Amino acid sequence: MRLHANQGGKTMLGGNFLGRAGASFAALIAVFVLFAASAAQAQQPIVIGASVSQTGPLAVDAAYHLRGLQLGVADANAHGGWLGRKIELKYYDDQSNPGTAVRLYTRLITEDNVNLVVGPYSSGISQAVAPLMNKYERVMPAPGASLPAIFAPGNKWNFQLLPPATGYLEGILPLAKSQGAHTVAILELQLGFTLACGQAREAQAQALGMPIIYGASYALPQPDFSSLALAIKNANPDVVVLCSYYPDAVGIAQALHRIGYAPRFLSETIGPAEAEFISALGPIANGIISNTSWWPNLKTPDNAGFIARYKAMFNNEEPDYHVAATYAAIQVLGAAVKATNSLDQAKMRQWLLTHEVETVEGVFKSDANGLSTKFGQYMFQIQNGKRFLIWPISQAEAKTQIPYTGQ
Amino acid sequence: MIILQLVVNGVLLGGTYILLAQGLNLIFGVMGIVNLAHGAIITLAGLFTFWFATKTHQSPLLLLPPVFIVMLVVGGVLQRLLLEPLARLGRRGELLNLMVTFGLSYVIIETGLNLFGSQYVSLPDLQTTWAVGGLAINEALVAAGVLGALISGGLHLWLHHTESGKALMATAQNPTGAVTCGIDVRRMRGIAFAIGSALAASAGVLLILVIPLSAPTADTLTILSFVIVALGGLGDYRGAVMAAIILGLVQSAVGYYLSGDAEVVVPYLLLIVFMVVRPQGLGRATR
Amino acid sequence: MNLDARRLGRWIERRLGNPTSAAAPVPAPGRERIAIAVLAVLVLCAAVAPLFATAYVLQLATDVLTFAALAYSWNIISGCTGYLSFGQVSFFGIGAYATSVLVLRAGLPWYVGALLGSGLAGLAAALLGTVMLRLRGIMFALGMLGLARILMVVAGNWDYIGAASGLTLPAELTPIAVYLATWVAVLAAFGLNAFILHSGWGLSVTGVRDDEVAAAAIGVPTARIKVITFVMSALAPAAVGGIVAWNRSFLDPPSAFDPTLDLQVIVFALFGGIGTLWGPALGTVILVFVGEQFWAYLPDLQLALYGVLVIAVVLAFPGGIVGIANRLGWLRRRPVLAPAVFPVVARLPRPALQGGETIIEVRDLIVRFGGLIALNGVSLSIRRGEMVSIIGANGAGKTTLFNAITGFVKPSGGGVFYQGKSVSDIPAFQRARQGIARTFQIPRLMESMTVWENTLLAARYGKRADQAVDQAAWALQTVKLDGLWLEPSTKLTPGQQRRLEMARALALDPTVILLDEVMAGMTRNEQGEIRAVLRQLRGFGIAGVAGVEHVISAIADISDRMIVLDRGSKIAEGPPDAVLRDPLVIESYLGKVS
Repeated sequence: MRLHANQGGKTMLGGNFLGRAGASFAALIAVFVLFAASAAQAQQPIVIGASVSQTGPLAVDAAYHLRGLQLGVADANAHGGWLGRKIELKYYDDQSNPGTAVRLYTRLITEDNVNLVVGPYSSGISQAVAPLMNKYERVMPAPGASLPAIFAPGNKWNFQLLPPATGYLEGILPLAKSQGAHTVAILELQLGFTLACGQAREAQAQALGMPIIYGASYALPQPDFSSLALAIKNANPDVVVLCSYYPDAVGIAQALHRIGYAPRFLSETIGPAEAEFISALGPIANGIISNTSWWPNLKTPDNAGFIARYKAMFNNEEPDYHVAATYAAIQVLGAAVKATNSLDQAKMRQWLLTHEVETVEGVFKSDANGLSTKFGQYMFQIQNGKRFLIWPISQAEAKTQIPYTGQ
Repeated sequence: MIILQLVVNGVLLGGTYILLAQGLNLIFGVMGIVNLAHGAIITLAGLFTFWFATKTHQSPLLLLPPVFIVMLVVGGVLQRLLLEPLARLGRRGELLNLMVTFGLSYVIIETGLNLFGSQYVSLPDLQTTWAVGGLAINEALVAAGVLGALISGGLHLWLHHTESGKALMATAQNPTGAVTCGIDVRRMRGIAFAIGSALAASAGVLLILVIPLSAPTADTLTILSFVIVALGGLGDYRGAVMAAIILGLVQSAVGYYLSGDAEVVVPYLLLIVFMVVRPQGLGRATR
Repeated sequence: MNLDARRLGRWIERRLGNPTSAAAPVPAPGRERIAIAVLAVLVLCAAVAPLFATAYVLQLATDVLTFAALAYSWNIISGCTGYLSFGQVSFFGIGAYATSVLVLRAGLPWYVGALLGSGLAGLAAALLGTVMLRLRGIMFALGMLGLARILMVVAGNWDYIGAASGLTLPAELTPIAVYLATWVAVLAAFGLNAFILHSGWGLSVTGVRDDEVAAAAIGVPTARIKVITFVMSALAPAAVGGIVAWNRSFLDPPSAFDPTLDLQVIVFALFGGIGTLWGPALGTVILVFVGEQFWAYLPDLQLALYGVLVIAVVLAFPGGIVGIANRLGWLRRRPVLAPAVFPVVARLPRPALQGGETIIEVRDLIVRFGGLIALNGVSLSIRRGEMVSIIGANGAGKTTLFNAITGFVKPSGGGVFYQGKSVSDIPAFQRARQGIARTFQIPRLMESMTVWENTLLAARYGKRADQAVDQAAWALQTVKLDGLWLEPSTKLTPGQQRRLEMARALALDPTVILLDEVMAGMTRNEQGEIRAVLRQLRGFGIAGVAGVEHVISAIADISDRMIVLDRGSKIAEGPPDAVLRDPLVIESYLGKVS
């Protein structure tokens, strides 16, 4: 192979040795100077630091995450900022990579000396970054982390801004049972929060006396669901629950359709909330039930205003619950700053542990480990190419269409 | 009945694989150029088709002819610029080809990421599922398989029964000899890569109806295509078809009786096993 | 730059073609020592500086070192051995898990865990290597990629190591400990690279990369070497994997077997200079620093820029940064075991051996390639003290005969016997070591080595370093190539290349030499030079010589016996003048006279 250019004949550092050594030393110095040039910023405004997955597999979802931050900061500034100071958002791209995120947060905290931090998108990255917050003693609202394990007893500085994953789709089994359904199939991706979600649903099914007649748990992205779909068809469950991300939500729905099978209830996490879901599946999407922690018609303070301002800022698009979560994170930070009248992290942390904050996403209240306790869980169903809230029944916008037909 | 359905699923899956791998069989199997950008080309074409169909609400099949022609030209240009300089190195250049196409794949993937985002996309066309005697057969899968088989057959006929096709085979087997027969080998190399890329792009247009595609996972398609080409025997079309169907059947069965994860590793296990036990693949072509 | 492909191709050829001037003498050791000392001081400064900087700089430096360790390890198997691997992350993951489990469940200190994890990965590499390294080229690369995915599935389903939820690890390591530990890993990986690129043993590795077949023909145990370097390439990634897992306090299958790690490492090593000693370090340092500054401004183009960089490096400067530096006279590789001046070695001629004992015997040899019968029951023998010429029209099977004798082709029937014993179970490299040397019809020289190193590689087996040096020097003197000893082998004329092939055969200290068309394409003068060497061979203790030849005039008078093959069968045998007048022989060359 000729990718190398090895040549014999001269010593390692060549002829005029001192000249070359001098040049290399100078080069080393130059590099370090370049380095130092990325020093800390001026500090007059309050700076909120974050790492955002602008590239990599998480980029599309993280884009919403970022927009929520931007809107939150813009709104806070419109109201005069905090402590009389303007607020700035400083973020870097972690490329959907936990290791990079760790490095970026270290940089934000130790080099850029940001005043406050907000968590990254996704449980995986949040989990990697959590120990850092303990080390540097920084309050971090985590709007991308639904995995309860992140908020375990050892972790004192992270606050969950999403409902815990164990609550995702917690309404589907009671709802189905009330309509006479009995047997359940649970499919889960073995990754952090989807696993927690799947296990919680399994426990719930057992508690409700609904037998789980088929279960599948897989670790890798599945390019082909045809065998899985065939197995589900064979088992013929009343309710199918999928705990995974967007690709599987689309893949399973397609595969079930191709095998010519439609369970009475088809419920999937995350995927159906994305804008592309409906255009990707067309009529097959109709009847699919999914979960969300936020809804446009939710009666939370200034929800309508939040939606209007989002549309104005982002090309008339509708926000989703990711946006709501990060917006709520800014609201929570602002509340803590104003209440303690400082940027002191220990004080803010103490305050957050003992107080509630009303946000567009609902009521923020965390337990002693930072786990959120009062964010609501809602379910919606896709009907005729649009989404309608169907649960809790008290806030439902439309009747649940049963059975799922995929037409 | 389950077994029959598994067989149907497997064959249909194999049909998808045939479509996936054909362009690569020409470039790698016949010409020996390791085109790591194969999956990226398929994906970019598929993403573009998605964008077109959702914006204009026209049938994606309309894109097949223009995409094929555009990719013919683009493929020819890319080959001239990036691969032709390495062609004179013969055997030494094999790994350099690999690296160049490796770099190219990332350029294409980034283009896809920027233009179309990183999300999986798919199109809800050709969604009818026919119930035939208790078996479920999906329209999109059948279309993919039929098109794949047609392309396969067409390529085989062209390579073995036409003047230009045989000239191409000659160039692949012995460039110096081909030159002495008056064959313009430089043009042949350009044609092979152009057609191979055009086939990959066309495959992408159809595949978006069958499986979700996304820019970040383009390399999975590349690997899968290489496995099929290698299992079938480089350059052997019958072998590739056999390999694709066998792979589909094995995956279908493993996915049902074992687990989804086991199904995912089947191609890699098969590759390793085959390369050690029968390196020339399933087909009869010797190289 | 004109885009015409022909000119582009020539431009590239010039770059790949080692445009050095005449060989420079190997410099004095004193200067070398000063160079190494200054380098050590520089490295020490670079190592110590981040300890006094901010936490961010320390973290960044640790990341750079992590990548450097991975790049050096990738360099071992892909750069130095020539087996491009797209799945080295497999060992990273194995090390990460092994370390974590050993520390969590067995309560070992973490550095012990990392060392043991490293050992475990090495063991895994040894086992996997025997299977994987049989795959060539792209298949090996893909196989390794597949291996990484298979391991991810296994890890995701194995409860003892946390399955898909992964392992949470208590935060035990200080950043400084991590930094220093990573330095140890980098130095180890660097040391392995230095050993491969500068030692006599390492020359075998380069030989495997350049031409596995030729390497086997000069006694290099290629299969064993590949497995050893594969094991070497697994050690540092495993150690680093363990350190990173503990630094992050968390480990799960996707982070352990993350494929983007491989991509970055490959780009860094390629950019720096694949297969070189300084390439991986330079590539990693430059690209990580550049990356830190640029990705903030151009997040949307990162992957594309990596891709363009790879293309640019391959097409414009395949040697990477080090390749460019080489052309400026910097960072050039020192020829292995080359003394300061060419050693002049006197070798007493040994008495010519007389005839009798059979050295090589071929009995009813049949070789089939599919439907084609290349050798159809050929029997012949080469006896001590004689020189045999084997002639025949094209396609007669002459080279196939040599290939069968030396072990590069497996006979379908019959047998080959060396000094009375059958060699059918003995692999090619072993036959070379036992004394059967050969040259190739088209010279197969190691292209990245100098004339000296090509010869030294053949001389190494079974000798101490100084003996090998002497043997190599003598071989080069004999073929009169000592004046060009430090030239890159690619710069030789065809005649000189033939002579280098012969020098390699001589350096093996063989019992019998098989020469495959050694006169082809030589001028009269060159033929004369080779004939002079051939005449001396008996005085070197070489028991027998067999030569396949077309240029019959050049060998007829120095052969003791001539054998003629025609379409796989022996049709004549005897003293040259009798054979050359045999009507059957004439007919096989010229056709029937009707």
